[in-house]
Amino acid sequence: MSGPMSAGDGFQGLKLRQLSRRVGSHTLVDQLSLTVAPGEILALLGPSGCGKSSTLRLIAGLDPASSGEIQLGGRNITALPPAERQVAMVFQSYALFPHLSVERNLSLGMELRGMGRAEIQRDLDQVLALMQLEGLRQRKPAELSGGQRQRVALARALIRRPALFLLDEPMSNLDAQLRDNLRAELRTLLRSTGVPVVYVTHDQHEAMGLADRIVVLREGRLQQLGTAERLYRDPANRFVARFLGSPTVNLIERGTTQLGLRPELLELTDAGSPVPQGWEALEGQLSHREWLGDRVISHVQCAEQGTLRVLSREAPISSALQVRWRQADALRFDARSGERLPGSNTPHTE
Amino acid sequence: MARLLLLLWSLGPMLWQLYSSLKPSEALSGLGAGGWTLENYRQLLQGDPPFLTYLINSVVVGASSTALTLALAVPCAYALSRLGRRQARALTALVAAAAAFPAVLLFLALLELARDWHLANQLLALSLPYAGLCLPLAILLLQAAFADIPVELEEAALIEGMGLWQRLRWILLPLMAPAMASSALLVFLFSWNEYPIALTWLSRTELLTLAPAMARIAGSSVYTIPYGACAAATVLGSAPLILLMLLFQRQIISGLTQGAIKG
Repeated sequence: MSGPMSAGDGFQGLKLRQLSRRVGSHTLVDQLSLTVAPGEILALLGPSGCGKSSTLRLIAGLDPASSGEIQLGGRNITALPPAERQVAMVFQSYALFPHLSVERNLSLGMELRGMGRAEIQRDLDQVLALMQLEGLRQRKPAELSGGQRQRVALARALIRRPALFLLDEPMSNLDAQLRDNLRAELRTLLRSTGVPVVYVTHDQHEAMGLADRIVVLREGRLQQLGTAERLYRDPANRFVARFLGSPTVNLIERGTTQLGLRPELLELTDAGSPVPQGWEALEGQLSHREWLGDRVISHVQCAEQGTLRVLSREAPISSALQVRWRQADALRFDARSGERLPGSNTPHTE
Repeated sequence: MARLLLLLWSLGPMLWQLYSSLKPSEALSGLGAGGWTLENYRQLLQGDPPFLTYLINSVVVGASSTALTLALAVPCAYALSRLGRRQARALTALVAAAAAFPAVLLFLALLELARDWHLANQLLALSLPYAGLCLPLAILLLQAAFADIPVELEEAALIEGMGLWQRLRWILLPLMAPAMASSALLVFLFSWNEYPIALTWLSRTELLTLAPAMARIAGSSVYTIPYGACAAATVLGSAPLILLMLLFQRQIISGLTQGAIKG
């Protein structure tokens, strides 16, 4: 865990305190409190409409906060206009100025802020080299590929030397392969800036692969904040458990509680096998399999409990199966509220 | 073949004017009769005042009307495009109603205004009613163009630290060039062709704009209709417009079809 859990007033990173945004009777962001240390990447994760982009817009100053406070580098920036916050933002659409060349996209802001020509030129050369954009200086955004546009958008953010980096789904316009390749590169680049980074995404792989810590949001409320591993192994509630992990966690009813079973923690054997001490089992029929290359997802139809997804290395041979799991591996939730019930599983180590 | 017919259909009247303007008056009753002459043009250009004065007057009025309209319409359209949806819809309906208002009904009131505020016989004052009449349409056109620009572009500029005027000057207006060009041309055309207001607001001959000047040329004699002079005046009067159209053709077409292709 790299993020400091306590932060005094001299805290140099980003700090949100009870931040809310309400529009009419709608609460977009609800009493959100969190900190991001310098050099740390925090991912805001959640389905669309969960308030992650609204939070980012509050931090950037594009929307006013209804209540609460935003601190950056020890000063209260809640009421400052965007221009005075020293934040840089990469938009989902990249928001490159379509009528300006790559070079002008980067330099216009600096020019209008009254920076000297020599200084601008020096920064331009530096950032364009860093982002490998030197050959594209005179191109217009329309003449660039998706990946190049993303690099220009990042370059435009970097060149400002911001005190805070905000990214709104910067990968969503790229194809899957490019996304996988860029993740590590982007992480290194963002870490190297040494400023807090807030990264909005709805993609759990992106959040887990890029961020130091993850915040899961739902309806504007913080569900859980922690490292990817913590969120995966020790989710605070059913929503977090379901949102992280693919295939999704299996949920089976046990009266007023619900068991959450990770597909990779389930074992398959022949139906009727004896169940070992400390294990639980269900019997069912194999309905179909998805072959993933190195693993197989088996869909096992278990009478009234519905279908369980089991992730294993080898495909089951028979079709009448027993699905079993260590009782200690099951996550227990309150069936009504979805809250995690205490003492349900011991943190698992591999 | 179909194209040729279409071309003849649209260009025919213009070519006929050009032909008539180059013929002596007495030759016009019979096709092909008489030689070619520049007499019609000579008379116009050396008249009192020379025809060029009218042209210049029209250009002055057109340019000032256009400038005034855009200067007022750009901020209005920007404000409308950034208002909340419900307010914007109500105000846009109002603007549209104003655009549909029959200008003829304003005519007498305008005349009163000209008299009371001593605006008669002042070229630049003409751009007041012209801008007023063109404003609603220009606002609607520009508002649509503003709405076509993604909000993130302006937000990105905001985060870059640009103020309102900087965002307009460096980001929004350059992206609206086509819409600005087509709105400007609409205003200019309106002002160029406008007749009743110009006729009543201007009485001194050397201040006349093209439309009333042409009427005066056509009606200068009770006994004959000076076809040749009229034709020459038409040719000279439309030449600047054709030139403008050719110069800004691409912008204007993309401005008029902007919403249609970008989706």
